[in-house]
Amino acid sequence: MKPYVFDEFFSSGRAETISPFLTPTSRKWGKHLSLRSALLSLTLLAFAFSFSWFSRDLSLLFLLMVYFLSGTPALINSLHDLKNLELNIDVLMTLAAFVAVAIDSALEGALLLVLFELSHGMEDAVSSKARSALHNLNHIAPKFAHMLDQEGIFYEKSVREIQVGEILFVKNGEIIPLDGVIIQGTSSLNLVHLTGESLPISKTIGDTVPAGARNLEAALTIQVTKTSSDSTLSRVVKLITEAQEAKPRLQQWLDRFGKRYATSIIALTFLFAIGLPFLRSMSYFGHEGALYRALAFLIAASPCALIIATPTAYLSAISASARKGILLKGGMTLDALASCNLIAFDKTGTLTTGQLQCKTTDIPDDMLAIAYGLERNVVHPIATAICHLAQEKRILPAVVTEFRAIPGFGMEGIIDGEKAVLGRPKKHAKRGVLAFLEYRDQTYLFEFSDQVRENMQELIQSLPLQAIMLTGDHEASAQTVAQAVGIDQVFANLLPEDKLDKVALLSEQGLAMVGDGINDAPALARATVGISLGRIGSATAVDASDVVLLTDDLHQLTWLFKKSKKTGRIVKENITLALLVILLTTTPALLGYIPLWLAVILHEGGTVLVGLNSLRLLR
Amino acid sequence: MHQHFKKKNPLEHVIEARKKGRIASSETHGMELPGHVAAASDAAKETTLILLILWALLGIEDHWFMVTLIAGWLIWKVGRSAILGWARLERLHRVIEEERYEIEHHRPQEKEELRALYQAKGFSGKLLNEVVDVLMADDNRLLQVMLEEELGLHLESYEHPLKQASGALIGVAGATLIMSFGLFFLPNWGPPLCALVTIALSAGGAAQAEKRSVLPAVIWNLAVATLAASSAHLLAALLL
Repeated sequence: MKPYVFDEFFSSGRAETISPFLTPTSRKWGKHLSLRSALLSLTLLAFAFSFSWFSRDLSLLFLLMVYFLSGTPALINSLHDLKNLELNIDVLMTLAAFVAVAIDSALEGALLLVLFELSHGMEDAVSSKARSALHNLNHIAPKFAHMLDQEGIFYEKSVREIQVGEILFVKNGEIIPLDGVIIQGTSSLNLVHLTGESLPISKTIGDTVPAGARNLEAALTIQVTKTSSDSTLSRVVKLITEAQEAKPRLQQWLDRFGKRYATSIIALTFLFAIGLPFLRSMSYFGHEGALYRALAFLIAASPCALIIATPTAYLSAISASARKGILLKGGMTLDALASCNLIAFDKTGTLTTGQLQCKTTDIPDDMLAIAYGLERNVVHPIATAICHLAQEKRILPAVVTEFRAIPGFGMEGIIDGEKAVLGRPKKHAKRGVLAFLEYRDQTYLFEFSDQVRENMQELIQSLPLQAIMLTGDHEASAQTVAQAVGIDQVFANLLPEDKLDKVALLSEQGLAMVGDGINDAPALARATVGISLGRIGSATAVDASDVVLLTDDLHQLTWLFKKSKKTGRIVKENITLALLVILLTTTPALLGYIPLWLAVILHEGGTVLVGLNSLRLLR
Repeated sequence: MHQHFKKKNPLEHVIEARKKGRIASSETHGMELPGHVAAASDAAKETTLILLILWALLGIEDHWFMVTLIAGWLIWKVGRSAILGWARLERLHRVIEEERYEIEHHRPQEKEELRALYQAKGFSGKLLNEVVDVLMADDNRLLQVMLEEELGLHLESYEHPLKQASGALIGVAGATLIMSFGLFFLPNWGPPLCALVTIALSAGGAAQAEKRSVLPAVIWNLAVATLAASSAHLLAALLL
């Protein structure tokens, strides 16, 4: 048996589907349990309804099963809420469903329970993927570091127990476990997880290195400067957590509305039960009594249509989006999208492909052949760009002997008896990505740039929002890309913290943030809506975002924003319709102008209308 | 002594933790079998015995009476089996959460426990230090070791409560079918014969899955079932 990874289990909220104690084959029994139970209830309810015309007892038997499957969880939740002195729409719905049994309207009560469980089950199924935002970061963060004991033997030590000042070793290919300063060795580090920058950077003795960076070349000896709780990676985790907690909860409005609605209806029920005999000449008990009328009012006011008003609209829109390759984590994302006025793009990997392209075209072919001969021995974005250029020009690589890679600098080799050196210059750092080739006293400079994605300018123009760029890259590189795609407002040189602050500020106006790297994750979580790219995006960015473009096609954004506006409109129509139906059925039912059965039919008719209205979003 | 140990030494603490682990993981049907097999075997035997006693006492001429009785019994057995399975899973999840908290907040004490555990296994000196250091280096591995070694729990070895309940359903349904055959087709001597067959099959199957001797298991179960049914029958003759 492989060692079990507990982090995923804990970050999922102890989900049965990944319980460490259950056998892998039986975990699937716990998948979408709430939804499956709701669907079973719905089937049983259909049987109960069908048999109600022929056999009352058989109908009641099926209703009993519905109350068991959907009513028991609702009752438990409502009692929990009441224990916490919380009166909300769940409590109202449960109360109405169980009171319905007392006045011989169990079928209506069961319908309430099933619709309620169905909407919860569907929401759970849709949003279950959004729970493990920090899980993937835990995958990246090493749990232990290699240390050296007094006898010169390597041993592993938990990063939690390593103190500032201790010495650790990071082998070629490993991830740096803690922030520190290099005291021995020179190498290149890939910081793509932390900064989004795909180009490795050289680090040597005296340089600081952050936790989470991957050591690409030679082994490094590092003196720890920060403990695990203060490391760069922990800071990113903390930023994501804080951003998720600070995120505006659009659900809050509905919750507040639900609480007020529930309190009002329950209070009115009591008021009518006690006060009706004083207003009209009627007794307290019997089918024409105040108690019966009040309970009828409670059932008619039970928010059946209101319950399905939002989830059906959201789920229809989510389903339509999924068919287009857009994953929405919950229906509230659509509301949030509709409220956005700004859209911010990360640069590397989002507006650009993240792959370097050699911009220098005047290099002699024989020099390009030498560069190709050297670079084909290594794996590096610069090497890939040079090899690609040489292959495009159909140039064969020069024969290189005595090849040697120089960690943190480049490489050298012998070609036709002469030494050739290819590396990154320490000067010209502000001109972007450069490499030079020295051969027979001649120096040739290669310049590289990131490739802008296709048709980005058209996309930016077609978006109904104002586009801006937020990037950790330097100003010159950011401006070049911004001009190429037609973005006027650029914020460059942003550290993850700066990016988060900027996003927090802009989110007040409604901001959709599009990004792909781990460095973008806090900003994605903090923005009104975070949008990530499914294929090239880091798993953490995907988890922290609300929308995932599964095909990485940014051109779908225009369609998505339009869909979100339409969803908002339909949700408002649904809520209005639902409230109208409740208003038009409860008052006549209470006053005895229409019988309860007619009130229920009108009530359910409104529910069907709301459902059909939502289905328009499937297109 | 750290309050984590509650006035006990690390080894005594480990022994108490194992007791806690045993309670948390105890098999709801009293056997160390995969839940659904145990549930099926248990449910089959209980259903058979109830039907046999009812037949012995009342004769059960009304077949619909049996159907309604079994329907209620089936729902109870399936529901109870699932509830017990979920209760166990909840206990196990709580234990794992507690152990994770201990590892995060009481590392020195966990290290002492680990040392005591491996000392008891015969490790000593430098080797003991190395084993403890290696295990303490990775929290994930440490949690697994503490769950298995300290609490005596087994990962990936329990069935989902619903799968377990499905075992109970199969047990009740299977036993009912066999007993029904006896009741409908051989009303005079069929029920006891079918009861013997059902109990023998479920007890024998369970014993085989547990790698116990099949014959004694079958005979003992048959003996207990005969004693129970016959006692009920004779007491009824005496008292009713």
